[in-house]
Amino acid sequence: MSSSVVPQGGKAREGGWSGLLGSAGKLAVMLAVPLIIVQSLIVVQARPQDLITGIHGMADIIRRATPPDFSQIDSMFWPALETIDIAIFGTIAGVIMALPLAVLAAANVTPSRPLYYVARGVIGFTRAVPDLVWALFFVTAVGLGPFPGGLALAVHSIGMLGRLFAETIEHMDMAPIDALALTGARRLQIFTHGVVPTVLPSLLGISLYRLDENIRASLVLGFVGAGGIGFQLLTAMNLFQYRTVSLLLILTFVIVLSAERLSAALRAKLA
Amino acid sequence: MLEVRHLSLRYPSGTQALAGFDAVVRPGELVIVLGGNGSGKTTLLRCISRTLAPDAGEVRVNGTDLTRLTGEKLRRARLDLAVISQHAALVRRRSVLANVATGALGRHPTLWTALGGLPAAELVAAERYLGEVGLAHLARQRAGTLSGGQAQRVAIARALAQRPRVLLADEPVASLDPEAAEDIMRLLRRLAAEENLAVLCVLHQVELAYRYADRVVGIREGRVAFDLPREEVSRDAVRRLYLSEAA
Repeated sequence: MSSSVVPQGGKAREGGWSGLLGSAGKLAVMLAVPLIIVQSLIVVQARPQDLITGIHGMADIIRRATPPDFSQIDSMFWPALETIDIAIFGTIAGVIMALPLAVLAAANVTPSRPLYYVARGVIGFTRAVPDLVWALFFVTAVGLGPFPGGLALAVHSIGMLGRLFAETIEHMDMAPIDALALTGARRLQIFTHGVVPTVLPSLLGISLYRLDENIRASLVLGFVGAGGIGFQLLTAMNLFQYRTVSLLLILTFVIVLSAERLSAALRAKLA
Repeated sequence: MLEVRHLSLRYPSGTQALAGFDAVVRPGELVIVLGGNGSGKTTLLRCISRTLAPDAGEVRVNGTDLTRLTGEKLRRARLDLAVISQHAALVRRRSVLANVATGALGRHPTLWTALGGLPAAELVAAERYLGEVGLAHLARQRAGTLSGGQAQRVAIARALAQRPRVLLADEPVASLDPEAAEDIMRLLRRLAAEENLAVLCVLHQVELAYRYADRVVGIREGRVAFDLPREEVSRDAVRRLYLSEAA
C-alpha cells in the first residue's frame, strides 16, 4: 500500500515541479513579449501622433504626384531596361560563380575538406554583407552607373545562391552517384552525368527565384548611384518632381509584378 | 574469372565480418551466395568491388588482384567489374537510353563525356543492351517513370554497357514482386551464359537459388559453410545457415 503511495507522491511532486516550471516559463514569456515591444517603440522613437499631424503633408505629396507624368514614359524605358538588365547580369554572374563554390561547399561531393571550409567562408561572407553595401563598394571602385549595381548583385547572389545550391546538392539521392562511381566513371563525368541532371531543375528554380529577388533589389541600388530606375527615382525626389516619382512607382510595380509572375510560372514548369 | 582467396575484414567495432572467405566464379557461371543477416554477404561484395578495403586476402578479376590497387589503377581494374544492387540507382530525370550508356563512361575519358556528352557508338550499343533486357521500346522514356522491375532491368543493361567480365549482384530482387524477381533471375542466368559473364549474386530467396544457380555458396560468420552445385545443396545445409540468426 505504502509502496504504491510513494511513487504516486513522487509523480505528483514531479508533475508539480514541471507544472511550476511551465507556469514560470509562460509568465516569463508573457512579461518578455510586451517588454520587447515597448523597448523597440522607445528605440525607434515611435510617434504615432506625427502620422496624424503629418497627414496634410502626405495629402499634399499625393496631390502633387497626381496624375503621373506619362509624357516622360519614353525617357523611362532605358532606366527600366537598365534595372532589369542589372538583375539579369547579377543573377547570371552570381550563378556562374556560385555553382563551383556550391560543389566545393557540399559535404557529399566536395573534393577536399579545406576547400569545403574556404567555400563555406566565401559563401557566408558574401551573403552577410548586404547588396546595398556591395553597391557602395563597387560605385567607389568602378564609378557610377549600372555596372557597379550588377557587380553588387552578382557578389551578394554568390552567397545566397551558393548556400541554396550546396544544400540542394547535399540533399540529393546519392545512390545514382555511387552507382556511376562503381562503373569506373571519372569524378568530372560523375558530376556532369549524375549530379547535374539530378539537381538541375532545383538549381534553375532557385536561380529564377533569385532573379525575381534581384529585380526588386536592383530598384533600390540606384539610390546609391548604381543606375536603373532607383537612380531616376532619387533624382526626381530630390528635384520635387512628384508626378515623375509616381510614374516611376507605377513602372516599378509593373516590373516587379511581371518578374514575380514570370518567375513563378517558369518554376512551376520546372517542378 | 573472379577469384576470392582468404578474404578477411574486421570492422572497427570489432565484428569479424569476413574470416578467410574463398570462392571462384568462372566465366558463364551464376554463383549464388546464401546466408543469414550479418553473415557477411554484403561485406563480401563490398570488399570485392573495393568500396571496402579488406584486412587480408586477394580479389582477382581476370588475374589482377584488386586489393593491391589504388587510385587510377583501381579505377581501370574496376571497369571489368560491374555491380548492381537492390535499388536500380538510375538518374531519374535522364532517359533510359542515357542511363544505360553512362555505364560505358569509364572507357571514354574524353572532354565530350566530361562535359556531359555521350559517345554516339555507346548510344547505339545501349540500344542493343536494352534490347537484351527486353526494354528497347522504353529507350526514350524518363528513368523515373519505370516500375521497380523495369528499373532493375535498366540497371542490368547499364552494367552490360560497362562490358564487364564479372557481375556482382547484391540482392537484386529484394524489392521486386515474385514475378519480376523470377524475370531478373532468368535474365542473369541467360546473360551469364550468353555474355560469358562470371556472375556472383547475393540472395535471400532460397528457392530462387535452387532454380537458377549453377553453384550455391553458403556463408556463415564470414566463412564458407558450403560451396556446391545447386543439385547437391541439401535443405538441411541451407537451414543451418539461418540457425544462428533465428537463435
